Amino acid sequence: MRVLWLRLGLLAALLAVWEVAGNAANPLLAVPPSAVLPALRDLLLLRSYPELPASLWLTLREIGAAYTLAVAAGLGCGFMLGMHRLVGRVWGPMLAALYAVPAVVWYPSLMLFFGLDAASKIAFGFLLGFFPITLAVLAGVRQVNPQLVTVARAYGAGAVTVFRRVMLPSMLFTLVGGLRTGLALCVIGVIVGEILGSKAGMGALINHAYGLLRTADYVALVLVTLVLVVGSDVLASLLERRARRWTE
Amino acid sequence: MTAARGELIAIEGVTKRYLTSSGPVEALHDVSLSVGEGDFCTLIGPSGCGKSTLLGMLGGLVAPDEGRLLVDGQPVTMPDPRRVATVFQDAGLFPWRTALENVEFGLALQGVPAARRRRTARELLGPLGLSGFAEKYPRELSGGMKQRVAIGRALAIDAKILLMDEPFGALDEQTRVLMGEWLLDIWRRTRKTVIFVTHSLHEALFLSTRVAVMTARPGRIKSMLELSMEYPRSMESAEMAALRAKLWSEIREESLRAMR
Repeated sequence: MRVLWLRLGLLAALLAVWEVAGNAANPLLAVPPSAVLPALRDLLLLRSYPELPASLWLTLREIGAAYTLAVAAGLGCGFMLGMHRLVGRVWGPMLAALYAVPAVVWYPSLMLFFGLDAASKIAFGFLLGFFPITLAVLAGVRQVNPQLVTVARAYGAGAVTVFRRVMLPSMLFTLVGGLRTGLALCVIGVIVGEILGSKAGMGALINHAYGLLRTADYVALVLVTLVLVVGSDVLASLLERRARRWTE
Repeated sequence: MTAARGELIAIEGVTKRYLTSSGPVEALHDVSLSVGEGDFCTLIGPSGCGKSTLLGMLGGLVAPDEGRLLVDGQPVTMPDPRRVATVFQDAGLFPWRTALENVEFGLALQGVPAARRRRTARELLGPLGLSGFAEKYPRELSGGMKQRVAIGRALAIDAKILLMDEPFGALDEQTRVLMGEWLLDIWRRTRKTVIFVTHSLHEALFLSTRVAVMTARPGRIKSMLELSMEYPRSMESAEMAALRAKLWSEIREESLRAMR
């Protein structure tokens, strides 16, 4: 309870500082909360940007597509590299090196390949989400205690049963952690992709407002996007907690 | 007590080689052994003499290069939990399963309905001395308790043959002696056929109806000792002291060879 009050106090203090600083600065570049609130109301009532629901829906669908692809490819590649030691040893370092490259350097060529529409955003979100998922599966496979696999085999487990009853529970922590990181990065990838160049979606609206120096609208749009990002992370953490309870 | 009521396990001319970075190593060479139903047969010998490999073959986890192994007259080609249950050296419990769920594991794999396997496992916990620990996870159990859960998991599937690979090897001396007494009690009640691998002379003499001494690598059966004393055995008798001296001199010779 005390933590909650302190948190609310902190939030109020931050807003107050923002209000004072916003009023003092150039109104084209910085806006105080008192100016953002009406902008947020206009936004949510669809007065300033009537295409908001369509944009939100588009961005959500892009995230969904990117994440689905990243999960499928990440699990597939991760298990393939993890189960076949030779393949894993050949590809593992390359994968880690590719992961270390700032992914945004690929975005111009993705736009050339996939155009300005949703496909290039999905591709970029996929690219960001794919690596942490693959690497988590790889790390997870290495965590499996071979002794437990032997025990299961001695008690009659075939390959499928070993996978389901020994490997999955052994690596669940790492796997779920990777899936969660992957989701966060997919969201970032799609939104950054939209901001860097697109005709629709939340990123395009943000770009529009910012480009026209409609700073209050811009901040309101960022707040809405923030809710989307935080919401997806809360959902992922709920799933993670559930998975943890399931293994314990 | 030694009377074998017919042969249950036949190991016939088994040889096993492993490929290592420094060339092939022969782990077992032409090993033959016959074990009767109800026997408590102990394999003892220097480290690396292939005792665990032999056990792995009986469990169907390792294939021989030459020779064959028969259980109930049928060749062993893969793990068969209906006939053989294995207890491993480090308990090998699943950390995400409770003690009870670990005991149930083999039954779950065999598709036994949840209610029935739960009942079987609960009945086993009493004699295992784990009645109050059904819902505990392996990390909450002591070394001896973990090993008893592992033995419970093996007993639960009610196979005729129990393979035990140094089950008490990781325990301290006192716990080890007590676990030996406990195992003897369980064995005499369940009448399983046990193949037991150990480094401990005490365990071999206290528990076995037969002791097979193995040579240094490549492992062969060096000699066979039949023990006919009544259970529970007094470890201080003159007869036992003589047996102990005899067994030790044979193992000592092989252990010295293994060290060279």
